[in-house]
Amino acid sequence: MNTTNPLIIFLASIFTHNIALVYILGMCPFIVISRNYKSAVGMGAAVIFVVTLTAMINWPIYWLLLVPLHSEILSFLIFIIVIAATVQFLEMVIERFFPPLQSSFGIFLPLITVNCIVLAVSLFMVLRNYSFIQTVAYSAGTAIGWALAIILMASIKEKLSLIGDIPSGLRGPGITMIIAGIMALAFMGFAGIITL
Amino acid sequence: MINQQVDTKQKSWLKVMTMGMWNDHPIFCMVLGICSALAITNRMDNAIAMGAGVTFCLVFSSFFISLFRNVIPARVRMLAYMVTIATFVICTDRFLKAYFPPISAAMGPYVGLIITNCILMGRAEAFASKSNPWLSVLDAFGCGIGYSFILILMALIREPMGFGTILGQRIMPQFWTNWVILTIAPGAFFLLGVYLWILRTLARKTE
Amino acid sequence: MKSALKILIFCIAMGTCSGALLVGINTLTATRIDRHEELKLKTAVLDVLLIPYTEDNALDIFKANVETMNKGNMMIYKGKDQAVAFEFKGPGVWGAISGIISLNPDQKTIRNLKILHQEETPGLGGRIAESDYLKQFKNKDAVPRLVFTPPGKARANNEIDTITGATYSSKALEKLLNTTIKDAVGLL
Repeated sequence: MNTTNPLIIFLASIFTHNIALVYILGMCPFIVISRNYKSAVGMGAAVIFVVTLTAMINWPIYWLLLVPLHSEILSFLIFIIVIAATVQFLEMVIERFFPPLQSSFGIFLPLITVNCIVLAVSLFMVLRNYSFIQTVAYSAGTAIGWALAIILMASIKEKLSLIGDIPSGLRGPGITMIIAGIMALAFMGFAGIITL
Repeated sequence: MINQQVDTKQKSWLKVMTMGMWNDHPIFCMVLGICSALAITNRMDNAIAMGAGVTFCLVFSSFFISLFRNVIPARVRMLAYMVTIATFVICTDRFLKAYFPPISAAMGPYVGLIITNCILMGRAEAFASKSNPWLSVLDAFGCGIGYSFILILMALIREPMGFGTILGQRIMPQFWTNWVILTIAPGAFFLLGVYLWILRTLARKTE
Repeated sequence: MKSALKILIFCIAMGTCSGALLVGINTLTATRIDRHEELKLKTAVLDVLLIPYTEDNALDIFKANVETMNKGNMMIYKGKDQAVAFEFKGPGVWGAISGIISLNPDQKTIRNLKILHQEETPGLGGRIAESDYLKQFKNKDAVPRLVFTPPGKARANNEIDTITGATYSSKALEKLLNTTIKDAVGLL
């Protein structure tokens, strides 16, 4: 089993190994949802919840069910089904028991099913042989890192739209890419602070 | 760009295929498939391999999804697409590993990237689930070609300026210092931003 | 309720079909893939122990010249000149890195190193598999540990250059090699 300290894993996955700015995963919603600050926060919160929950469900399924049965080939399939089922279940729970959360949180849930990072987190936890506690630290940290990136992006774009006159061809995905590039460069400054 | 319901009876097959190459281009119009466009375009051979892999998987997964489009219940269609795509890609990977190991070794890192590539899901949702198999295959092929074109365009700048080579052959003069930034993530972001700027400005001019 | 039942039946049917397809392809291709992997492993062991062979007689040469020992949970391959080789496997940045490393009979210096599988960023981390990069490992001190330095700064005999633009992949390789070598030398 991997012997890295869970706290180190948690901090590393937010800063030095940020999944959006270092691994460049989860880009599609990153570009589309970061239009305004409020939806970015809603999406970020939803992602944190779903990613941590699905990782916590997938860990026992992999190690206690698939490995003893030598069925690792099914891991992709099982993970996808668990993710879709979890999201579906969460949608129903929010609709029934927490209606006020529906508009700030609930509408993003269907988008999360196809967000690559949910699947990526489950796959990486298997690859790196994380224990359950390490998985919780890793998944929470990764999702917080992604949420941080998208919230930063939304804030920058909102400010930019107030003060800047962006050329028409650059509006939308174009300027998002350039801002993301600058953010990725900035996050590279964290490299070396934490050794995974 | 809003995806309109495709009226398949009126569209000729050529139009369907070429739509994915410019008008409905996956990256420029629908902003899909960005993750891999940034990660693996630092070398030309990777870009070509990824483009070929995505086109192949896109064509077949669109075909299968279109075949079953009337059987899939609406609420679980995303799940159905993901399962179909994942099953197909993994089966192909195992098949290659067994019968063509050199190709599998070359494509190894991309398998995971192809499965989670939003283009496959996006085309399944926007086109394959609504059209017959023949048109879906054409659309998938067109999108795949358009996508590969962009990958190659990115690699055309990144490899020479970042490594000094094209397809492994050194082409830059001796005094050239490699722009390492173009080989890593931030450089990819900047380059794609510039490309988007140029191409979207051109598209608006021709609209 | 009827639609919910329909959805459930569809999901079960789809899951079973896909699962059956995957398990089916897996079992059908398993023997061929295992054979490829075995050949790849054995030719890599022969390579790092510097034992010559050809495509056709690789397995026979392996059987004749290499002693396989199962120590703890590690397989150690010993050549006739007492050089030892063993597999290392661990997480890289994107996927697992695995390879074979051989130590000279002094069990301190590296004879050779070969990467079997890696899924690092092509062109950057992927260069850990290139023979140009790996040849700097020859005759370096692996005990007590290898140290990966910034590119171009390797001076001492236990120092290795990292790859420019591939810090994390290089660090992963460093950690992997040091842990495996420490375990293997402990078992010898």
